[in-house]
Amino acid sequence: MAGEKKYKAPNKATVAEMRALFIDPVPDERKVDEALKHLKYLVEKYRPLMLAMESCTKCGHCAENCHTYLGTRDPNNIPTNRADLFRKAWKAAYTLEGKLFGKLVGAEPLSLDTIEKMYSYFYQCNECRRCAMVCPFGIDTCEVTFAGRQLLHWLGMVPKLQAQVGAAMYRTGNHTGLPKPGLVDTCEFLEEEMLEETGVEIKIPIDKPNSDVLYIPSSADFLLNPNTMMGAAKFFHYLGVNWTMSSEIAEAGNFGLLFDQRYTMRHNIMRLLNEAVKLGVKKIVWGECGHGWRTGKMYVPSMADRPIPVPIVHLHDEVSYYIRTGQLKLNPEVNSNPTTLHDPCNFVRACNMADTLREVITAVTTDFREMTPNRERNFCCGGGSAILYDEPEMYDLRIKFSAKKAEQVRATGVGEHGEGYLVAPCSICKAQLYPMVEEHQLGVEVKGLIDLVGTALYPPIKKND
Amino acid sequence: MEYLVLQILPYISVTIFVVGVMYRLGKWASARIVHNIVLTPAPPTLGGAAVNYAAEVALFRSLFKGDKSLWAGAWIMHFALLNIIGGHIVGFAFLGEQFKFIGTSAELSKEMSNLLGTTFGIVIWVALLYLLYRRFAINEVKLVSAPADYLHLLLLLGIVTCGNLMRLIPEYGVHYETAQTYFIQLATFQPVHLEHINFIFVLHLLLVQILMIVFPFSKLMHLFGMFAERWIINRPYVEPAPGLPGVKVSASSSTTTVTAGGKTTAGGV
Amino acid sequence: MPFIEVNGQQIEVDEDGFLVNTDQWSEEAAKVFAKQEGIDELTEDHWKVINYLRDYFFQFGIAPMIRKLCKETGFSLKQIYQLFPSGPAKGACKIAGLPKPTGCV
Repeated sequence: MAGEKKYKAPNKATVAEMRALFIDPVPDERKVDEALKHLKYLVEKYRPLMLAMESCTKCGHCAENCHTYLGTRDPNNIPTNRADLFRKAWKAAYTLEGKLFGKLVGAEPLSLDTIEKMYSYFYQCNECRRCAMVCPFGIDTCEVTFAGRQLLHWLGMVPKLQAQVGAAMYRTGNHTGLPKPGLVDTCEFLEEEMLEETGVEIKIPIDKPNSDVLYIPSSADFLLNPNTMMGAAKFFHYLGVNWTMSSEIAEAGNFGLLFDQRYTMRHNIMRLLNEAVKLGVKKIVWGECGHGWRTGKMYVPSMADRPIPVPIVHLHDEVSYYIRTGQLKLNPEVNSNPTTLHDPCNFVRACNMADTLREVITAVTTDFREMTPNRERNFCCGGGSAILYDEPEMYDLRIKFSAKKAEQVRATGVGEHGEGYLVAPCSICKAQLYPMVEEHQLGVEVKGLIDLVGTALYPPIKKND
Repeated sequence: MEYLVLQILPYISVTIFVVGVMYRLGKWASARIVHNIVLTPAPPTLGGAAVNYAAEVALFRSLFKGDKSLWAGAWIMHFALLNIIGGHIVGFAFLGEQFKFIGTSAELSKEMSNLLGTTFGIVIWVALLYLLYRRFAINEVKLVSAPADYLHLLLLLGIVTCGNLMRLIPEYGVHYETAQTYFIQLATFQPVHLEHINFIFVLHLLLVQILMIVFPFSKLMHLFGMFAERWIINRPYVEPAPGLPGVKVSASSSTTTVTAGGKTTAGGV
Repeated sequence: MPFIEVNGQQIEVDEDGFLVNTDQWSEEAAKVFAKQEGIDELTEDHWKVINYLRDYFFQFGIAPMIRKLCKETGFSLKQIYQLFPSGPAKGACKIAGLPKPTGCV
């Protein structure tokens, strides 16, 4: 398709890749009509979306609070203007004022060009919800991005990355497409690593029947973040938890949240609930994944097709609980490098975890320095909602989106001597920050939070002499 | 013209306002809150959520935290507006003598009414001018503004300017009694007979009626949107209980097993 | 669909330049990919990594964990990056004809 590079955008999934998600891409000539149908359906169904369409006063407060706008100064990256991609079409097609007064009231009929623009700018949104937090009315522009991506999904316009992950999930139960033999081999390798390190056999069980706890790791932990996986294993080992993972759902993430809050999201959730029943576990514990935990905590209740059989909690809520009750002893002296914490947006703005993360990090490091702003006012890493694209122009955008984060990290001074830790307990944040700390030369190493818990356990897990 | 604005149009504009707002709110109500999208940190109790809700609605807390100058312009404007609307209602109802209820004399009450009305009139005028200035002066705000955004401010400025002229220039002044008579005649569907009315008063009424007609079809619906949206994202949330099944309490002497279950309230609808 | 040319034959690759069908890989194809990645000559060290990746892929259907790759081949991550400037996932996997890793990587 020539001429489609008018707007910066990630490569689209091919027809075959869309069909793997059970979507037949809509041909260009029918796109506008179909999109208008979907637009009406979505706006009339979701109240937060409708309110975003109809009660924004355009005060502009969101602009300076969005890191994508700060990094690019592209007017379309101002949250309310991003929402305008939807709002203009909604007004023009379905409101009296839009039909009568058009441009005067900010209405503009939907066109194929606008749809391409949506594809570009809805996938430049990190869905971090900082705009929702600062909006005087509480308009959640993230809901507009959600709806926009849903609409684009129904039209057959999904970035390759998201589409491939969605398909990998259907196929293997995790996002990296790791089949069971690969999963088992990886975990055995990590067991060996821990044996070498500690002299103790710390198990990473998979599909173990009669387990009490089902641990849901991020599958990126198998490829990229081994210390996160080992940290969790050490934590469970230390407490003597009878835990397991499942080869059917070795994935904390749920890309359904990010492009298809219907089948893709529900399929993932039901896979999880089915597995919990099959394994007979009493509790599900979620690993380090931001958007995934938002789904696990906030969307499972509204998406599940049957009552939720067991409680679902986050790993760090457990860690902080056992720190508080004195059952988990940690020695912060082992982590004396200057450390700062990147608050994953979904953890602090959608999952109430700001205090939890601080309870844990202050227990495992001696030199913890807060970023400014922090907690629920924190800025996104620039990778949020997995816009981790490698195409040169998209990668360039990722660098720009992370500029605010780089500025924050630099201001803490943790990387001054090149030995700082940047703790980011979320796989998307990690995947974004690994290259970004290099691009911005921050002098820090990106770590998971449970990684540090694993090293700070006290007494350390060691073979008895 | 006067006949149209004072006698005919009010029935039309009030009808459009009421029916239009009901229609919009009805549409909002028929859309659903599907998922729980509460913004955290969220308080665990309804009381805590009510405090947050009140702070947002009455004090514009989010705005205060983020942008003090916009907050000042917006909050002062709305606060003055609220007082002005309230002042119109009690002023017409009690002819400016409403402060008698708190023990003043009738004369003092009228003077207080006049003073408050004039003050708020000038305050809101300045605040509106600032908001308009913002739309032109700050690049980001300019980038997000549609023509209608300027027009809304100009409309409000027009209304306020007329009101201030009536307050400040005696020959444009309209007495409480005149206004009260007018509203009673309107409300009882009688022909309106008014003395001492002037061009500015008619213009003031005309602009207010335009505002009422525009209201349901514009961003002015944010008045209701604020309450509706805050109800979605400022809810209480109860955390699931922590504690891993099967973990023995080893650090202390107790040997009970933690098997607490979790329960979340505030789930999606 | 984009393609690369190996010994006069066209082989299909995806938009990111990864081989669509892993079976179409050959040592010649690897050399073509290496050129794209800015590697002039594939040394013995390169082949060690490439062959390990391919062996692992055919056994387990996936690329190995990066730490395992380092351990089994004896290279540090830094050395891997020296060998394959765009990294183990996007550089080495591509030359080895493996599909591009998906997920948060």
